[in-house]
Amino acid sequence: MHLRTPIESSRQAVSDEIEDPELHDDWSAAEERTPALESMTPPLERRHPLLGTRIVTPRNLTVIRPPSFSLGTIVFGIRALAGYRDLLYTLTLFRLTVRYKQSILGWIWAALQPLAMMMIYTLIFSRVARVKSEGVPYPLFVFSALLPWIFFSGAVSNAVNGLVNYSTVITKLHFPREIIPLSYVFAALVDFAIACVILGGLMMYYRVSLSWNILYALLVVAILMAFTSAIALFLSSIQVRFRDIAAALPVVLQIGVFATPVVYSVGSIPLRFQRLYLLNPVASLIETFRRIVLHGSAPDVQMLITSGAITLCCLALAYGYFKATEPMMSDVI
Amino acid sequence: MFDIRLDRVSKRYFIQSGSRERSIGWPNFSLLHKKEMWALRDVSFEVPQGESLGIIGNNGAGKSTLLKLLSKITAPTSGEIRIRGRLSALVEVGSGFHPELTGRENIFLNGSMLGMTRSEIARKVDSIVDFAGVPEYIDVPVKRYSTGMYVRLGFSIAAHLDPDILLLDEVLAVGDIAFQAKCLDLIGQLREDGRTIVLISHDLGAIQRLCDRAILLHHGQVVTTGTPADVIDHYQQMSMGGEETYHLNEDAHQKPARCLHITFASTESDETPRTGYPMFARFGFHAQDPLENVVFNVLIFWPSGYLCAQLTTAVSDPQLRITAGSGEVEFYCPVLEIQPGWYRVDVSIESNGDYIDRQQRCAVLHVHPGKMVFGDFYMDTVWRVHPWEQLRAKESP
Repeated sequence: MHLRTPIESSRQAVSDEIEDPELHDDWSAAEERTPALESMTPPLERRHPLLGTRIVTPRNLTVIRPPSFSLGTIVFGIRALAGYRDLLYTLTLFRLTVRYKQSILGWIWAALQPLAMMMIYTLIFSRVARVKSEGVPYPLFVFSALLPWIFFSGAVSNAVNGLVNYSTVITKLHFPREIIPLSYVFAALVDFAIACVILGGLMMYYRVSLSWNILYALLVVAILMAFTSAIALFLSSIQVRFRDIAAALPVVLQIGVFATPVVYSVGSIPLRFQRLYLLNPVASLIETFRRIVLHGSAPDVQMLITSGAITLCCLALAYGYFKATEPMMSDVI
Repeated sequence: MFDIRLDRVSKRYFIQSGSRERSIGWPNFSLLHKKEMWALRDVSFEVPQGESLGIIGNNGAGKSTLLKLLSKITAPTSGEIRIRGRLSALVEVGSGFHPELTGRENIFLNGSMLGMTRSEIARKVDSIVDFAGVPEYIDVPVKRYSTGMYVRLGFSIAAHLDPDILLLDEVLAVGDIAFQAKCLDLIGQLREDGRTIVLISHDLGAIQRLCDRAILLHHGQVVTTGTPADVIDHYQQMSMGGEETYHLNEDAHQKPARCLHITFASTESDETPRTGYPMFARFGFHAQDPLENVVFNVLIFWPSGYLCAQLTTAVSDPQLRITAGSGEVEFYCPVLEIQPGWYRVDVSIESNGDYIDRQQRCAVLHVHPGKMVFGDFYMDTVWRVHPWEQLRAKESP
């Protein structure tokens, strides 16, 4: 690392300005920012043996430097990510198709897994342990919380190994690496949506009435997804260097089931610990989701804002950390 | 005007120094102790627009690291790289493929990893399938593909990227001969079209044919840059250890005959063999006893290790007899036909079909440029021009 003189840091700013990684469709924007380049390269007709003739637009300049962390990294990272949104879509789609290829039940598995867990938990906690469920039939009570929990734990436990599974690609191709863990999160979201159909069926079976408040559930899922992404990004980038993360994760997630209100209600937590308990966004979001869906009540605004703010901080930190470690991932993986 | 500019670029890797032998169950703290290794050290060069640059060097010289830096797979430790335009690398094509997905699905997956949008891929998919030559297999999972089909599809996707700058790393070694020819044609067309090309290859012939300029990397540093011919010559000299003299084993005193020396000379005044000019090879020997049916052999090998040419007494006189004592066989070659470069030489003496003495890779033949040339060999020719009327006059008496 070298010390930056004022001149150098201003140069950094300038080159970051014209650096526009891989946004090929954005040549016109690059042209605006670098008028000097345009005069150097007059538009030129060019013939590609496979693609025919095209007009060559001015090229943009990419500057590659040793990695250094700055707020700009996050901004440019998000811009590059936007340029690769098609890859995120493709990877998510293929993650889903690959998972259920060569399986007979296919997509039904997305619903069967939470259903099976619901039955086990109902057997243990309702029949054996007699846990209170706020007057809601216990299967419905546990299923409505299992869905967001399975979304979170499934996404994180798949995503944590994501980069390592793609090590051959990571050492050969360049693209924003965060797409890999994020594609696991999006795939888990699709599974979540499928399982929600079963939840709807269960609610009809138990004759739970719906209200317009159910739309708040979308907001809750959005926040939960952002928090899941933060954890997935953070853990998967550490996993690249230290494989201990994936080994420890199943234990942590097992504890997590009981540290969040999945099998019991928040009401059974002593009142003085409740505030601390609900600082965990996963716990408060699961609780909010259940209240919205089963009781048709509007969410506790203060609780939602708190978990939203914590999520935003976590996501910014996790993304910044991910982007800072990204350039060296192919070296240590 | 440059397309690629490297300014004092260095790349450091950390390699684990802890021993791998450790008892199972004990925490592996050697993960935390690492030794540093510089893959590139203060490398600076420029590639002007439209140039095709070859990069050669031994394994571990830093070629692949350089390519990874240019394609942004990894970041430099210090220094700065500037790239003007869209760059794409053809490195181990097909490495993003998922075996369970069909060829078509993989085109979309791999294409979007290479930075294409879905609509762009949808436009090009027919042309991709066509170039790869796999139309009947396009909806079959790629795990059912042969290796050649796999690689052809990968190359075809990458070839449809339409970059301003193209990085190639040993990709010419893919597919069958017909596909290789297709790839070479494509690269040639792209080059004529004014694309900038950076080619990394151990195929020195390809470097010579396709590049305007070459760079020799050694231990992470640029050793020479210049015309491909000069740089290849330097590289071959370096990999031969630079010795131009022979070194024979001296443990051959008990043998009935042994090789003493082998030297090559030109009849020209500067005494160095040149392509297209006469050459002498002088093979010194010592015989303890008189020998019958003797054959003297000089084998000349390409740097790659393949046999290039042979000088032998067997063809003209397989029943050669020699008396006891020292002597010298002089081979005279009226026209040296092999191309300039560095060759390794074996010498051997046979009698009655058995080797009496055999020295492998004992000397180096350095052929300097002479009447060369393109291609692997110089063909000595005489020629003259016949005016058309003369030919007509000959035909009609």
